[in-house]
Formats: sequence, C-alpha cells, structure tokens
Amino acid sequence: MRRRIVWVLVLALLLAGGFAWAQKAKVTFFWAMYDGLTEDFRESLQDAFMAANPSIDVDIVPIDWNLMQEKMTTSVAGGQPPELCVIGTRWLLDLMSTDSVLEVDKVVSKATLSNIAAGAMEAKIKGKLMGLPIAAGARILAINNDVTKVVPKTMEELRAEAKKVNKPPKTYGLIMPGKKFTELTDFCYYLYSAGGDYFAKNADGSYGKCVVNSPAGVKALQFMVDLATKDKVVQEGYLGLNRMDSHPIYYEGRAAYVMIGAWVESAMKDIATKPKTQYALIPPFAGQKQSGLIITDSVAIFKKAKYTKEAGKFLDFFYQDAWKAKFDELVGFPPVTISAGKLPQFQSPLYQALGKAAMSAKGWPLIEEWAEASDIIWDANVKAFLGQMSPKAALDEAAAKVDKIRGM
Amino acid sequence: MSEAAIPLRQRLWNPEARLAYVLLAPAVLVLLGFMIYPIVYVFLISLFKTNKLAQFKEFVGLRNFVNQLADKEFWQITARSLYWTAIAVAVKTVLGMIVALLLNVKYAGRKFARMLFIVPWASAVPISAILWGWVYHPQYGLLNATLKATGIWANPPTWLGRPLPAFTACIWVDIWIGIPFMALVFLAGMQAIAEDLYESAYLDGVNALQKFFYITLPGIRHLVLIATLLSCLWTFNDFNTIYILTRGGPAGATDILITKLYKNAFEFLKFSPAAVMAVVTFFILTALSILYARIYFRQEQAS
Amino acid sequence: MKWRNRGKPIAVILTVVLLAFLLFPFFVMLSTMLKSAEEVYTNPPPWIPKSWKFSNLIRLWSEFDFAVYFKSSLIISLGSTLLNTLLTVPAAYAVARLRFVGRRFILYLFLVIQMFSPVIVVISLFKTMASLKLLNTYLSLILANSVFTIAFTIWMMNGYFRSIPKEIEEAALIDGCSRVQTITRIMLPIAVPGLVTTMIYSFIAAWNEFLFGLTFIQSKQKMPLVLGLYNFVGRWTTQWELLNAAAFVALVPVLVLFYIIEKRLVAGLAGGAVKA
Repeated sequence: MRRRIVWVLVLALLLAGGFAWAQKAKVTFFWAMYDGLTEDFRESLQDAFMAANPSIDVDIVPIDWNLMQEKMTTSVAGGQPPELCVIGTRWLLDLMSTDSVLEVDKVVSKATLSNIAAGAMEAKIKGKLMGLPIAAGARILAINNDVTKVVPKTMEELRAEAKKVNKPPKTYGLIMPGKKFTELTDFCYYLYSAGGDYFAKNADGSYGKCVVNSPAGVKALQFMVDLATKDKVVQEGYLGLNRMDSHPIYYEGRAAYVMIGAWVESAMKDIATKPKTQYALIPPFAGQKQSGLIITDSVAIFKKAKYTKEAGKFLDFFYQDAWKAKFDELVGFPPVTISAGKLPQFQSPLYQALGKAAMSAKGWPLIEEWAEASDIIWDANVKAFLGQMSPKAALDEAAAKVDKIRGM
Repeated sequence: MSEAAIPLRQRLWNPEARLAYVLLAPAVLVLLGFMIYPIVYVFLISLFKTNKLAQFKEFVGLRNFVNQLADKEFWQITARSLYWTAIAVAVKTVLGMIVALLLNVKYAGRKFARMLFIVPWASAVPISAILWGWVYHPQYGLLNATLKATGIWANPPTWLGRPLPAFTACIWVDIWIGIPFMALVFLAGMQAIAEDLYESAYLDGVNALQKFFYITLPGIRHLVLIATLLSCLWTFNDFNTIYILTRGGPAGATDILITKLYKNAFEFLKFSPAAVMAVVTFFILTALSILYARIYFRQEQAS
Repeated sequence: MKWRNRGKPIAVILTVVLLAFLLFPFFVMLSTMLKSAEEVYTNPPPWIPKSWKFSNLIRLWSEFDFAVYFKSSLIISLGSTLLNTLLTVPAAYAVARLRFVGRRFILYLFLVIQMFSPVIVVISLFKTMASLKLLNTYLSLILANSVFTIAFTIWMMNGYFRSIPKEIEEAALIDGCSRVQTITRIMLPIAVPGLVTTMIYSFIAAWNEFLFGLTFIQSKQKMPLVLGLYNFVGRWTTQWELLNAAAFVALVPVLVLFYIIEKRLVAGLAGGAVKA
C-alpha cells in the first residue's frame, strides 16, 4: 500500500512539474518588450499566426530589454536556444564567432527579404544576412520650440544657444547623460560629429587600433566636459543620470535640446506637459561633415533550435504590413520594410528627420570585443566628467586598454 | 570510552550513524545533485580558455589566475569586496540587534510594528534596488528633495554619480535589505531565553545594559555567529544591489568581485576571467568560514 | 510585571523613529504609485499626489495580467517552502542530535555551497535543468530555490534543536518513544519559533527569487511576480507609477503572511517546560 502511495506521489510530482510531450512544432520567440508595445498586440499576433498555421505552435515570450542579453546568453550557452530572439545587432558578432546563428535567407522567403530597406541591413556581415532587422533608427536632435526656435548648424551654435536659454532648474540648455549605460551615447554623437571614429580602418576593411584618443575624440570629450562643468548648461545631477533617467526632463519640457532617437514621440505621448518639438539632424562641429549614429535591432535565428523552418514561416507572417507596420507604429520606430515605409502614418516630421539622418549615419563598429571596449570608453568619459583625469589622459588610457584586450 | 578506542567500522556503521545517514540523505542528494556539476565546472573553466559559448578551448593551467593577479584593478576590486562586506555586515548586525531588542518589548501594536520592520526584506532585491534608484534620483527622487526642503542637508550629493556617495548609497541599500533578517533571527533566539533569568536579574538589581551583555547576548551567541557568517557570504556576493544602482560605476568605484564577474560572463562573454574570480571568491569565503567554524565548534563544546 | 513595563515608553518611541527612518523608501513607493505619469516627472517631486490614481493599481490586473504572475509565485513559493522543510528537518535533527563520522564535514559542506552565488552557477544549472527536461516548469524553480536555502535552514534548525535541553528527549526515549516520534512529537513543537523562521525564510526567498525565474521560465504563464514587475522597466523609459504599484502589490502578501504567522515566533519556551 505504501509503495503505491509513493508511486502516486512521484507521478503527481512529475505531472506538477509540467512534463509535457511536445508533438507539434513549436516556435519560441524571445520578444523584447519595447516601450509602447502592448500585450494585446503580442497575443493577437500569436493567435493570428496559429489560426493561419494550425500545425505550428508559437510562444512569444515577453522579456524586458534590459534582461534580454543575459537570458539569451544563458540559453545559448546552455544549449537550449529559442528559435527566434530579438537582439541588438552588435551581439551578432559574438554569436557568429560560435556559429550559433542561421543565415536568414535559409528559412525566410525571398518576398520578405526583398521588401527590407537597404539602409536597414546592418546585420549583413561579410555578405551574409545574419539577422532580420526589426527596429532601426538613427539618432536626431529634438528641439523644444517652447524655449527656442534655433536649429543649430554646428555644435558651437548648439552650445551658444544652450547657454542663452539655460535657466536652471526651470530650463536646461541641453540634456546630456553622465552615468554609464549599455550604449556609448551620448559620447558617440559628439565623436562622430567631430569627424572621429573608434577604430582605424585597415585597407581590407578590418578594424585596426583604437583611435578614440585622436584629436577629434579628445575634442569631443573636452566639449562634453566643458558643457557640463564650465558652461553648466547640462541638467543638474547629470553624473547620476543615465539616458533613461535624463530624457524625461525633456519630455517634461524643461530642456531646450536633447539628442534622442525614434522613441521620443511614443515616450512623450502620455505626458500632458510635453513640449512642442521640432526635429533636426545632430549638428557636426564647425568644418566637419554631418555624421550620425544609427542603431538597429535584429531578429536572430538560432541554429541549434529545433523548428527553424517554422520560425522562418512565422517571420514571413510577421513581416507583412498588417503586423509589422502596426509594430512599428506602437514602438515608434521607422519601418524597415519598403512597403510599410510608404504608408501615410510614417510621413510625419519625426519620421522625415529620421529618414534624413539615416542617410549620413553609421552604426557601431562591428567587432567582437565591442561590449568591453564600450565599457572601457564609458569609464574614460566618467573619469573626465569627475575631473579625475583630463579628457586626453582618460582617452589615451582607454585606447591603450582597448588595444590590449583586442591583442593589438 | 574515547573515540579512538572504538573500531572504525563501528564508528561508521552503528545504529545511530545509520539513522543519521538516512535522515541526511535527501538534503545531501539534492544539494550535491544540483551543485556538484556547476562547482566542478567553474573550477575547470578557470583552468581553460573558453569561447563565447563557455565551451572549453585550450588548457592553460594557472595562466588565467596569473593574468588576473597581475592586474592592479583586480586587487582594488578584491579589497573593495572585503571592506564592503565588513562594513555592511557589522552595521547590519548592530542595527538588527537593536531592532530585535525593540521588538522584544511587549506593547500594544507590537505585532504591527514587527510586520512593518519586515518590509525591506519582503521585497525582491532587484526591485528594491530599482526603487532605491528612484529614491536617489537627482531630479525626481524624494530623498534629495526632502533633504533640501526640510533643511537637513541643503546641498546633498548626487548619490549615484560620485565615487564616495555612490559607495555609501549602495552599501546603505544592502544594509537596509539585510536588517530584517538579522532582527528576525535574533528575535527568535531571544524568545528562547527563559523568562526567569531576567526575573532574577531584576531582583538582583541588574541594569538594562548588563542584562543585555550577560543574559541576552550569551543566550543567542550561536545565532549571532551563524547569522553574521551567512551574512558575510551573502553580502560578499551581493550582485543585484550594486549592479542595478551603479553598474559598478562611477568609473568602477563600486565594483566588487561579483559584479565584475557578472560583467565578464554576461556582458563580455569572457567566461574564464569570470571563473577565476569565482574561484578566488571561493577561497576567500572558505578562509572566512573556517575561522568562523572554529569559533562556533569551540563554543559548542563549551556549552 | 513591573520590570517589563519600565522600558516600554522608550522602546515605543525608538521604534516609531526607527520605523519612520527605515520605511522612507516605502513611503516613496506609496506616494509614487498614486501619481499620474507626468506628476512622477515633476521637479521638485511632491509627496502628496494632486489626484490619487488608484487606477494604477487596478490596471495591474486589468491590463497587465497580474493574476497570472501571482498564481505562479504562489505555487513556486509554497512548493519551495514545503520541499525545503521536508529536507531540512530530518537533516538538521541528524546534525544536531546524532553522533556519526562526518558530522562536521556535512555542516562545512552545506556552508561551502553558500559561497557560490546564483550568478556563478546559473549557466550550469540551466544545462542541468535542460537535460532533466525541467525547463519551463515550476519544479525547476522549486528545486533551485531549495538548493540555495537549505544551507541556511539546516544551520538554523541545528541551532534551535541544540538549544533544547537533552533531558526532555532522553525522558521520552526512556518512556519508549522511537527517534522519529521524538522529532515529531517533542522536538518540533518546542522548536516551532525556529521552524517558523526557516519556513518564512524559504517562502520569502522563493517569492522574491529573480535570476532562476528569469532563466528557467520560457513562457509568460509561468513567470513569477518579480519578473512581472519588469513589464514596467522599458528600454527607453520606466513607468515608475506602475512599477511602484506593482512592487507594493508584490509586497503585501508577504507582510500579511508574516503578520499571521508572527504569533508562533512569540511562543517560546515560555510554556515553562523546562527551568534553566
């Protein structure tokens, strides 16, 4: 009698553990929870696909963006990756070095692929498309028209106007985050505007030594330090504010300028005190060409996952205008598909500015050690802000460290 | 009869020992079953070069360790981990003791007070860290706003932006989270001290301070030891608080071993340096534990 | 008892002061969760919201499916507490009362496990759970939680068992009780404060556990509450009013549970079973 009880308990435990025999194809999609993306959308996308494809189950797992990298790394390193995952395109380098991702055109239809805008193809590495772009946006300058109407043509003009309208704490001239964040902004904006870059480019297109400490880089960082400590046009407490913490100050209407991305309108829409905003390109330094930053997120398909073919079918379904355009609307990013790009809702001033900025923008350097390199450069920025080192010394130290980790 | 006189076989296999093994088996099996592989794996990885999928690539022996130990930053981080732990545990223990003493006094509404003291512990650590980040926010945070408005501190620092305030801010959150646990453990122990000890002390004219040092403290001595030891182990490895508040910043001023380890593993995908740090952590904590265990077992024998 | 009452007023005052100080972030939470989005972003921030948006709390259920997260957390926490207790009590008794070779070693072993933070072992544990086909199950979390709380609970119960005078047990054994009976009928009832402490500890640890919940669970239906809170931490902005509301809601069950069980902590040896 007792033995039977034990078996029943064991069985109950196993069943409680959710021991499921999956016989249907099941596509798991690690879905990044972009601001503005609703649960309803996710669920209706899931239901619609399953209704149209009764033999395939799809589980769209919502995961906060800040947790995505860790979850993805663990799943991949643990040998159980999902079929699909939203990733920052720059993560592809690492994934490719371990041959973890599948070339997109192996499972996605030609129709879908030919509908992708050429400018969004950051994930085309060495001629192969390793990820399907899902969100792509250049960075722009947002101008608070309630405070100023000046559209600066150079960084020096921006600085002058910021000084003029700066009346803390009611109005700040410029929003500039001073606390480390995953992304190397805002330094990147100033660096590119100064005509600088992170790495020297070799003849064959590969990346050489780190050149953040070039005169352009030093000029950019010095400019940032001056804005914060000499001119004091930057928001108070900037050292303790990363990008996410500081942008709401603009949404509130308390800043004249902010360098920001496509999400600005969807982030501001719930705030009644939002400023009347005009959009422009991030200005270059005097004498330099305009150059901005463009960031793309992609959907990666993992080789080791079981149902990659079905995953491809799901992507074909998702990238139709009916779904992808709605996604783009909710998230606030310009569409990556040519057909969606023609739709009327994407012709507003914001989208026009984004389109214009994208034409002269470049992305992050696609190198494997980028995560560590940007961490080192961020620390250099902070050291300069804190006054612990001069911008030149900080960047020299950073460049040396970056070269060291890359083995140069 | 001394232990040595009993034959080994009998020492290993008498009825009492057999019962002990049976009672211990479930816990030990679960623990070893799940932890043996990860622990061995971590030690092995520290001796290899790995790829970005944490797979072994090349045996390099102690070279990973040598590289780390030669790095000046590594020593700074290790030193910081040590004094982070020392300060946090010391303050937690003292404050926890005070809280426990306060909650040991009978008065109407004590139950409610006890419930409220649990709040810092009742919230998940990452969530508490995020919410404290909101409290520390330079523009929208109520801490600086209140300090300025009440005149307590006219010009409070940017808590998470400068090295020393950031360290203080982080360590306070860690302490804040840890107080209820200490208080609870001490309180439960205080409940077990017989009332008549206090009664006779009162009749003898002993004052409150003496009561504490001669009755209360000795009565919960073993609990204080265990609680502080475990707290040291947990605090040393407290990852979420610092990572969420400052990510180890500004410019590495709040980085401790566990946060650096995490960055290496999950941000840079450099699993070998991460494993080296895990192993170093292990040795440091083992040394600490042996020290503690000596005191504990010596005290056990005495009682 | 006069000696008891002397310290009372000072204790009460001190308690209130300390509570006010410690609960500062809790007050911030209460203040923020009742604000509207733009009031959240006001400088200087007000303590009392202009209009009290209780809708923030309601939206958690209507818009964000918090009932689902609640259910998951409840299952995981209760399961973890149960498993932990079943494993701990026998083991702690063995270590506390029985003599056998390796007793100290076992205590060391449990301690050693505590030196490895979940961050260090998460990838390997993920592989283990995957190979046991336990990914995306409550059981994986129940097991993982137990593994990380056993060390503490066994050491604690060891301490509590040891503080019970041996004479009680010996009397029972002489009277004809078996070992197991002495555990269940005599030791446990007396060690109730310790047992309750360890059970609360297990429950709270499981309720608030984050890393394994993130790693092992793949579908929204099984996500614990802590993960649900991350709904409000976006990539560009954080919805502070909703996050604070959700944190409050996640907090309340723990407080209520503690309030109910707290009486057991008070019952000590005051029953007078043994004179010191």
